[in-house]
Formats: sequence, C-alpha cells, structure tokens
Amino acid sequence: MTAGAAAAIPRERTAGSHPLMVGRPGDATLTDRLLAPLLRAPRGWGWLLLLSGLGALAMFGAMGYTVARGIGVWGNNIPVAWAFAIINFVWWIGIGHAGTFISAFLLLLNQRWRASVNRVAEAMTLFALTNAAMFPLLHLGRPWFFYWLLPYPTRFGIWPQFRSALPWDAAAVATYFTVSLLFWYLGLVPDLASARDRLPGRLRRRIYGVLALGWRGGARQWREYRMGYLLLAGLATPLVISVHSIVSLDFAIAQLPGWHSTIFPPYFVVGAIYSGFAMVLLLVIPIRRLYGLEDLITTRHLDNMAKLLLAMGWLMAYAYIVEAFVAWYGGSLYERYALLVARPLGPYAWLFWLMIACNVLTPQLFWSARLRTRTPVLVGGSLLILAGMWLERFVIIVASLNRDFLPSSWHIYKPTWVDLTILGGSISFFVFLFLLFVRFAPFIPISELRELRHELAGGERAP
Amino acid sequence: MSIRRGLLAELDSAGAVAAAADALHALGYRALDTWTPLPLPEVEERLGLRRSRLGPYAFLGGLAGAILGYGIQWYADVWVFPLRVGGRPLHAAPAFIPATFEATVLVAAFVAFLGVFVTLRLPELWHPVFEIDGFERASADRFWIGVGEDDPLFDRRRTREDLAALHPLRIVPVPEPPR
Amino acid sequence: MAALFSPRSNRLFRGALLVAAVLVVAIPIGIMVWVRTPAVTGRGRGAKQPIPFDHRIHVTGLRIDCRYCHNTVEREASAGLPATTTCVSCHSALWLSGPLFAPVRRSLATDRPIPWQRVDRLPDFVYFNHAIHLKGGVACESCHGRVDRMAEVRQAAPLTMSWCLDCHRNPEPRRRPAAAVTAMGWHSDPEPDHPVPLSPARRAAITTCTACHR
Repeated sequence: MTAGAAAAIPRERTAGSHPLMVGRPGDATLTDRLLAPLLRAPRGWGWLLLLSGLGALAMFGAMGYTVARGIGVWGNNIPVAWAFAIINFVWWIGIGHAGTFISAFLLLLNQRWRASVNRVAEAMTLFALTNAAMFPLLHLGRPWFFYWLLPYPTRFGIWPQFRSALPWDAAAVATYFTVSLLFWYLGLVPDLASARDRLPGRLRRRIYGVLALGWRGGARQWREYRMGYLLLAGLATPLVISVHSIVSLDFAIAQLPGWHSTIFPPYFVVGAIYSGFAMVLLLVIPIRRLYGLEDLITTRHLDNMAKLLLAMGWLMAYAYIVEAFVAWYGGSLYERYALLVARPLGPYAWLFWLMIACNVLTPQLFWSARLRTRTPVLVGGSLLILAGMWLERFVIIVASLNRDFLPSSWHIYKPTWVDLTILGGSISFFVFLFLLFVRFAPFIPISELRELRHELAGGERAP
Repeated sequence: MSIRRGLLAELDSAGAVAAAADALHALGYRALDTWTPLPLPEVEERLGLRRSRLGPYAFLGGLAGAILGYGIQWYADVWVFPLRVGGRPLHAAPAFIPATFEATVLVAAFVAFLGVFVTLRLPELWHPVFEIDGFERASADRFWIGVGEDDPLFDRRRTREDLAALHPLRIVPVPEPPR
Repeated sequence: MAALFSPRSNRLFRGALLVAAVLVVAIPIGIMVWVRTPAVTGRGRGAKQPIPFDHRIHVTGLRIDCRYCHNTVEREASAGLPATTTCVSCHSALWLSGPLFAPVRRSLATDRPIPWQRVDRLPDFVYFNHAIHLKGGVACESCHGRVDRMAEVRQAAPLTMSWCLDCHRNPEPRRRPAAAVTAMGWHSDPEPDHPVPLSPARRAAITTCTACHR
C-alpha cells in the first residue's frame, strides 16, 4: 500500500486528485479480503440485525393491522386521498434509482470508479424497490387482489385499463425489479464462483457453488458474460429513466393544480437519482469504515458522489423554479394559487421551506473540496437530502390535495401512528435486508476490482 | 470451445497467459481455452472466439416484447373490454406506450440474461476441469491455459513440451471423470 | 481433492431448474383452470329442500307456466317463491296428505313460509333484477337451464361475471319474443316479430360497471 505507486499512474492523476484504489493489492489478497466479510460479521452486526428486525416486525404488524381494519386506520381522508403510502412509494422507488444509475449508466459511460460501489448500489435498488412495491399494494385496500393489476384472462371478463396510470406503474415497477435482479445476479456470478473456490467449509462452498452455476472463468464464458452484462446495462439505463417518469405520470396526467405539469417526468427522475446518491453515500461510508475498505472505496468515490449531489441539487432547484414560473406564466388562477400561495404560505408552508433548505441549501456545502471528503459532513448532508426528498413528495402530494377546488372541502391531513410505524418500519426493513446482504453476498464486485487493478497497473506483471 | 479432455498449464499472471495464448496459437494450436479470474479481451481475440450473438437475440426479444406488450393492451382495452374512460379513444396509442416500453425491456433483458447461460450451457455444476487439484485458484489469482485433445496437433508428449516452454507453474492433464 | 460436485449433479440441478420453470408456469394456469370448474363456481350444485319438489311433474307434466308460481318475475327484482296458498290452490286435501307434504301443512297451520333453500346465489355486490331481463327478452331457460327436466333444481350456469358479460356484450342472439320467455327448449326461427337489436345507448348502458354494481 504505497502512495507512490498510485502517483505513478498518469491516468489517475488526470482524473482527479484522489486515487481510485490506494496501493496495489495482489489478486489473492484482494479476493480474500473481499470474501472475508462472508465468514464473520463485524462487531455489532447481530445487534443491528436484531434491532432492525424488530423495526421490520413493527412495520409488518402495522401493515397487518391495516389489512385487518382497512385503510381507515391511516390519516388519509378525502380530499387527501393519497398520503403516506404514495409518498413512501415515490420516495423509496426514487432511492432505488441511483443503484441502476451507478451500475448501468456509469458502466456505459465507462466511469471506472463505479466498480467498488456498484454492487452495494444495486442491492440498495432491490431492497428499496421491495419496500416501494408494498405501499401501492396496501393502498389498494385489498392487497390480496394485487394480481388484478396484471392482464390475464380473469373469471370476471374484465381487463386492466392501460389508459390509466396504475397499470403503467405496475408494469414499470415489476419490470424494474426483475431487470435489476437479473443484472445484480449476473454481476454476482463470477464472485460467487470465487466464494465457492476460496471459502472454507464444504456446505458453505456447495451453497455458493450452486449459486455460481458452475462458473469457470473460461474465455468464452467471459466473452458472453460481458456482452450479457453490457446488454442488461444498456436496457437498464432507459428503464431507470422510464420508471420514475411513469411514477410522475401518476400525478401529471391528473388535472390537479400542483400535479398537472409537463416538467414532472424529468423533475422526478432527477429527484430520484438525487435521493439515491444520498442513500448510497449513507450506506457506503459505514461499510468502508466497518470493514476497513478505505483503500478500495476511497475518498475519490465519496468526492465523486458529493459532486453528483451538488449537480443534482442544482437541477432540483431549477425544477422548483420552473414549477413556480410556469404556474405564474401559464395564467391559470388555480395553478397560481396552488403553487404561489398555498405551497409557500399555506398550512404546510413550513414543510415546503424546510424542503427547500434541505434540497437546495444542503448540497451547496459540496462546493468545498475539503467538505466533499469529510465523512461526517457527507453523512449529515445525505440525511438532510433524504429527509428533504421525502418532504418534497409530502409537499407535492398532501399540499396539493388538501386545497381542493372547493374551499369547503379543504382538509388538514395528519398521519396516524399506523402511518408513522409503517414509514419507520420500512426504513428498518431496508436496513435489515441490507445487513443480511453484506453478511452473505460479496458486496464489492471482486472480479471487477481485479480487472480495475490490472487496468490501473497498466499491464505490469502481478506482484 | 470448452475443453473436457486435454492438457492444462497453470500460469501466475494475466501477461503470462496472454503470451502463452500467442505462443500456442503461433504453433498452430486451435482448440485452446483459458480460465482466468478476470476477463482478458486480448486473449479472447487470440483464441479466435466469435463475436457474441446475444445482441441480435436481445433485439429480437425486445421486438417480441414490444409486439406482445402492445398486443395485450390492444386486445384487452380495444377488443375484449372496450370501456369508455374520460372520452379517450379506445385505441389510445400514446397511453399504450409506457407498458409497451416496459414489456420490450423485460423480454429483452430476459433473453440477454438467459442467453448468457444457454449459450454457455450453464448451469454445469460439475466439469472435468474441476477435478484438477488447485483449479480453484482460477477464480482468484491463477491463470490457466489448456489445449484440447480434439486439436489436430494434439499429441500428449509434444503438447506437454510446448506447454513446458511457456514456463508454467505446472502442467496437468484433465483427469478422468470419477466412476 | 475431488471436485465439489459430482458429474451426476449436472443432470439433477438442470432437472430441478426445469421442474421449477414448469411449475412457475403451470401453477398460475392450474389455478385459472380450477376457478372455472364446477367445484368453485357451483355449477350443477343443488340444495337440500324441505320438500322434494319435482319441476318435471309441474312444468312438463302439468304444463304450468313458470309465472304461475314465480309470480313477481315480470314486475320485481326477485322472481318470487310461491306463497303456500298458491300451492294449496291445486293441492287440495287429497294431494296434501302423507309425510311428504308435512312442511306444507305446517306452513299453513303456523302461517310461516316453507323454508326453501336458495340454489342460484349471486354475491351481494351485484344488483340483479328479474323483471328487466324478462322485458329484454331473456328467457328463464337462458340462466336456469332446462328446469322442466330437473327432478331437483340445480345451478345450471357458472354465474361468473364473465358469464353475465357474455350476454350483456352480445345480447341479440339470446333475446326472444315476449311470448317465448318462459318456454323451455325454444328454438328461434326467423320470425317477423323477432326482437329488434338494442340501441347503441342501451347496449352501452348494460355494459357499464354501474349497470350491476350500484
């Protein structure tokens, strides 16, 4: 681990001041280090798992209560017919987007720094989507009929209406989850083979061996594998843009002031990636600390993601400004009222301004190169951004709905304890799934890091 | 291209395996394969592997998905269940685009994913090369190259000499399958 | 050290994957088929009635019209079950003796209806009106089957929503002249008084959700 070796690579010096990988560990060391987390948990892992598992249980309890009693136990009421369920859905699904952005988008753009964080990001996508998908199903009221969303020959002779946004959502979320899962698993195969070949214990090796499907690392295998991986990346990239666009159309095709806006699809996609990067940072920072991986997930990675947060933060600011401008410029009385009066001055104004502070002011910290590599600042900033993005969905949904066209039906929405338990529990459930993932799956792509190391070494013979 | 019988040599670096592939190819061997812990595109070129056909297949899969996706929507909302909603035409093509796109991506992704395993004949939990002691390191830090018995130039003694000229860590034949 | 898996494991594992893949397809299809079988829809199911009332004797033998007993069918949502007095209008003392008729006698004595059991049951969220169906030329037979051949009434149709919709979406071939709605085994001829097609508005009205789900 010599800093001098890194400085000798001109490629890296031009790419940034921080190295992608500190030192040049050998193939065997690299493999063993990255497989080590599969053998034993770091201190506190069990307690965290227990704690988050209890939180998840609380969520399932509250969900069971909701199913048993009906969604009347939530705070939703006309005109605020959509509230926490849809806010949480949009929030979680947005967080998932950064995973695909990192693993697919950045792969196509040949951004080598994605290599050490992409698996974590992809797993984050899967778990965020698992959480997200539960909310619209619960909001259906009778979640056991979820399959009515699918086009199949029913016994009642009717079919989903594809001129409505709900089947679009079902198609988008189901496709997104499936493709993310395939992409994630395909990426895992060579690493599962490494686990099969290097870990002790016959049973453990057999389990990873079955999952590795007999991967041998043959020349032909790598060739087809890379093509398959590239194709999935190419497919996932437009997919990630389509998914949040479709989610935004749930709102945009309605005629409610505050929703009915053509800026929604890009606005939502940017917001999704924004919150997702904040979540990736929040996951990556403790992981590199707990497992001592600071030389593989380097300050360069943190720096890059902080820069992306800054860029996305400005795009969000742009979207907020355009939203207000179009409301004024469009000349619709109701739009003007909703966006220029009700939102900044109405009953939820404090949440609106809090959201602006979180989403627009927080990323300004990252102008400073020093702050971009300070982990406490990054963690704090990410938490604020995640909160801000949740508030944004709250403002869009509740603050638009509560001022109905008829002032007589205006209504102040308040969440109930069930709403809050489900939201808190879903965060616990996410952590729970993630803890299991880092314990049992190689969470840093080993073969890609070996590749990166060879590339950085520039053909020099392995030590 | 998958070698089930033949001679394998164990090497210790990516550079060595690339040089070995060059050398063996120059000697006229064609039934060559390598097993490496990371992809080595230059070696693949030297082995004369054909271009992956997954792309066109995935494209056809996407096309089928698009037709299927649009077809289901048309069948459902125009043909069997024509329901007037908000004065929109029954055949509302723009409204059918989102689900059509999703179906396109879904089928194309499945074809790409399954295509990898079908063309490689995986899953194959057991393979003759797995019987070699120490072959496990092919997924960590060892680079293997092998000549198949079906190569016209293959001759147990001469091929062993040719492999020895590469200064490998060792040379092993693919063992006979157990039982 | 031998390989982790034996050569046999290849066939086993591929076989297991194939079975899993077949099940993933077969299970949903199996469920879709199963919910359409009489075991689920109740088609062909009867009910234990207090009296073994035989429609064959009354309809085929005595040629009594359906409406004689089910007398509200042309006016009300329910077709109506006959009052006990309707029974005894024919079943005088002679045909009212014996253990078979005990429930009728008890009904007369206590002034309580005979506890007939329902055979064709629609869910509560479906609004069904017999009168409008008869007015539209839908025959008894179309839903209840050949009651004239039933010793014991059984559910003749699956009564699924798609079965209702088959007719609502394409009613014309099943409409009859008003005189033939209670006929059993009726065959349509190209007669001059054959019902005219429904107007487009009427057709639309009988396929909206709220036609039945009110």
